[in-house]
Amino acid sequence: MTHPIDRRIFLAGLVGGAATVGLAACGAPPLTVPERAATGAAVPGATMRIARPAASAAETLDPASALSAYEYLGAIYNRVVRLDRNGETVPDLATEWSSNADATTWTFQLRPGVRFHDGRPLTARDVRYTFGHILDPDTGSPQAGPLALVDSMDAVDATTIRFNLSTPNAEFPSLLTAYQCYVIPEDSAGEIGRTGIGTGPFVLESYEPAGAGKVRANEDYFDGRPVLDAIEFFSIQDTSARVNALLARQVDLLSQTNLDNATARVVAGSPGTTVARVENAQWYTIPMLATSEEFSDPKMREAMKLAYDPRRVLATALQGTGTPGWDNPVPPQMAAFTEVEREYDPDKARALLKEIGREDFRTKIYTSAYEPNFTAIATSFAHQVREAGIRLDITNVSADSYYTQIWMAQPLMVSYWFTGRPIDQLLNQVFRTGSSYNESAWSNPQFDDLLDAARADTNDATRLAKYQDAQRLIVADGADLTPVFGDRLVGLSTNVVNYDEYGFEFDYLTIGLREER
Amino acid sequence: MTRLVLTRLATGIITLFLTAFFVFFAVQALPGDVAAQLLGQDATPEALEAMRARLGLDQGVWVRFADWIAGAVRGDFGTSLVSGEPVAAGVWSAFANTLIIALPAIIVGVAGSIWLGIRAAARRGRATDSTISVLALLGMSIPEFVVATVLVLLLAILLPIFPAVVVQGPSASFGELAPAAILPAVTLIISMAAYIIRAMRSSAIDGLATEYATLSTLKGVPRRRVLWRHVAPTAVLPVLPIASINVAWLLGGVVVVESVFNYPGLGKLMLDSVSTRDLPVLQAIAILSALVYVVANLIADLTALTVDPRLRTYGRRARGGDTPTPGGPPGHVDAPTPHAPSGRPDQEVTA
Repeated sequence: MTHPIDRRIFLAGLVGGAATVGLAACGAPPLTVPERAATGAAVPGATMRIARPAASAAETLDPASALSAYEYLGAIYNRVVRLDRNGETVPDLATEWSSNADATTWTFQLRPGVRFHDGRPLTARDVRYTFGHILDPDTGSPQAGPLALVDSMDAVDATTIRFNLSTPNAEFPSLLTAYQCYVIPEDSAGEIGRTGIGTGPFVLESYEPAGAGKVRANEDYFDGRPVLDAIEFFSIQDTSARVNALLARQVDLLSQTNLDNATARVVAGSPGTTVARVENAQWYTIPMLATSEEFSDPKMREAMKLAYDPRRVLATALQGTGTPGWDNPVPPQMAAFTEVEREYDPDKARALLKEIGREDFRTKIYTSAYEPNFTAIATSFAHQVREAGIRLDITNVSADSYYTQIWMAQPLMVSYWFTGRPIDQLLNQVFRTGSSYNESAWSNPQFDDLLDAARADTNDATRLAKYQDAQRLIVADGADLTPVFGDRLVGLSTNVVNYDEYGFEFDYLTIGLREER
Repeated sequence: MTRLVLTRLATGIITLFLTAFFVFFAVQALPGDVAAQLLGQDATPEALEAMRARLGLDQGVWVRFADWIAGAVRGDFGTSLVSGEPVAAGVWSAFANTLIIALPAIIVGVAGSIWLGIRAAARRGRATDSTISVLALLGMSIPEFVVATVLVLLLAILLPIFPAVVVQGPSASFGELAPAAILPAVTLIISMAAYIIRAMRSSAIDGLATEYATLSTLKGVPRRRVLWRHVAPTAVLPVLPIASINVAWLLGGVVVVESVFNYPGLGKLMLDSVSTRDLPVLQAIAILSALVYVVANLIADLTALTVDPRLRTYGRRARGGDTPTPGGPPGHVDAPTPHAPSGRPDQEVTA
């Protein structure tokens, strides 16, 4: 009882078809979704329902873990510092921080009078314990690598914590903004995965891995009580089932779900539901494996860049919902971003290919249904580079082994990341020689030196200049293409007001519902 | 008779063992690394190594197979690689959830389909027959996920009568699941009914054409009585195997339907286990599904034996060296339609 039609394609077609018929239009009109989520007064005492994809049945509320139930973290915990919209480090539990002259010792002042949900006061010892837990090899935290430079920590007094680093790092506070760095109470690692005791705006009421859970407002929150009374989280694994739950008003918001264009059209066009954008939230990449025979030659990589126009990828694959990338991995909203000029010239690309004797270059570009826009981006890219004589065969493979079998193994594929990493972490994790996230296996000693020099540079202006030089180097020589930054299209009820999300930050304090159901 | 039943039982057990063997090695051959899947894209190589060792994936494949079979016989399917909970408990609770949609679907679906098939046969060539046949063909040719989507669109989104999906997850209570089970059950009935209706219709048409049916009609027995008293019981016989296959298909968990409705049954558990490479859970589900198939077929065979005396006696006579009777060999029950000579020249035998 199997059927030859792909289910997702069919469903998109079916629902999309229904919407188009409703509009009585022939041919799909351009996708239009609201730029901003609705704002306005919320009713007090409301309960919001959020549907999310579960990490797996092994997911936990331990923020340090690689399998954390991500949506809960921001509601129940706080970090020492967090990121603002422009990628700058701003206060959360710490109110101010400073370093010694060579940036090897960092001291943070914690907010006084903050209490955990079980009533214990927050002290520097809890912060020390939290980072000890992250650095513990048994935890297997993804943030242990970036924080490996922490030599030791001192709880100087109740509200002062000091980090002693093995190497100078002027950007150290930004490393503490990662979502693995939520602060947990001292000696709680054993049970934090179930109890979820933090200092955050919501208190955990119930939680089941890969199941349902509930948090209620923390009356005692240091930054004021949240508008909502409670949030219910539901796990719905299948994307179309999640969308159905929204359309049937069983939930108010879909988290970690980037709607594909056809579905976004339906959600935006249905009564009671709408779409909000998280600007440039999806950073799409096309890693060209620098260790592969195909792309080891920098001239070949240059030809690949010259051959395509990011503006056209944006217009066709994403229907304009995003920003062209021009192969610079830093999203334009970040303060450290610099505009790097990069030509689009297929004739020049063709000439380059001729020069290296690859006039009829042909290879495969891998894609999968792992993310809804991968295949559209691969298609648009392959179509454009053809003008320069490059033939790419689009190869669609299974989503569940995409990141284990294809990623960092095949010469050419489409990949993506969430934006929201601070500049130092972004460049070091994805582009530095030998980093486990370096998806193109690119290695450039000059680039690595530049990053080291930036970390050691305590002058904000010259440090910024170094990060901008690093961006130019990536555009000139790098192996990881950045065709576009895509807006995440989030499905939500028209009843939701003051929804605000960027990077890994979600505003749980002001989000509310217009009326009680 | 006892001998026949025992042979069937033994065949069943051998089938189960073979299934276990193939399932185990097929699962081993799945692409993708469990440890990588468990730790996610962010894992370090050291963490991966440690995880592989902890899961025993560094041991030989035959050792693992032997361990697993020994446990499975005792009903112990090990612990889930993902949640760390015992596999058996999770699989049984998912199976119980699947029963909530499957049992009503079986009862309504099988009974309704048999009734519709007989009706269609009795009204052969008339409007009732055409309507039933066309609807059955439609149900047969539309994939179940389309039926499910259309039902959700109509009865959950446009007219919000039923919930579109189950939001509570595996811990949902019966009270929460029951209203959400109606649309999946209807979907299953629609996709299952067509096969049974069509088989029942041809079988009943053949039955109506037999000499004993013609004789009863000529004797003046009312047509209704001929149909329900004389034709229907025999005509059901060849439909039983088809019904049993469908029942097993339902109980084995209908992956696509459960996924569309986010229904925490066996099918969804299987889908989740595939994507997280939770091999022990996957193997347990495969064995349970095989068990359901074997049991459903056994029940169908035994029912056929009870209803049809020729099947019971055939085994004895064949050993005596007799030639097979026109009633057919025991394999007869597996054939979708019976061989029945047409008693009336104006009615062709429909296959």
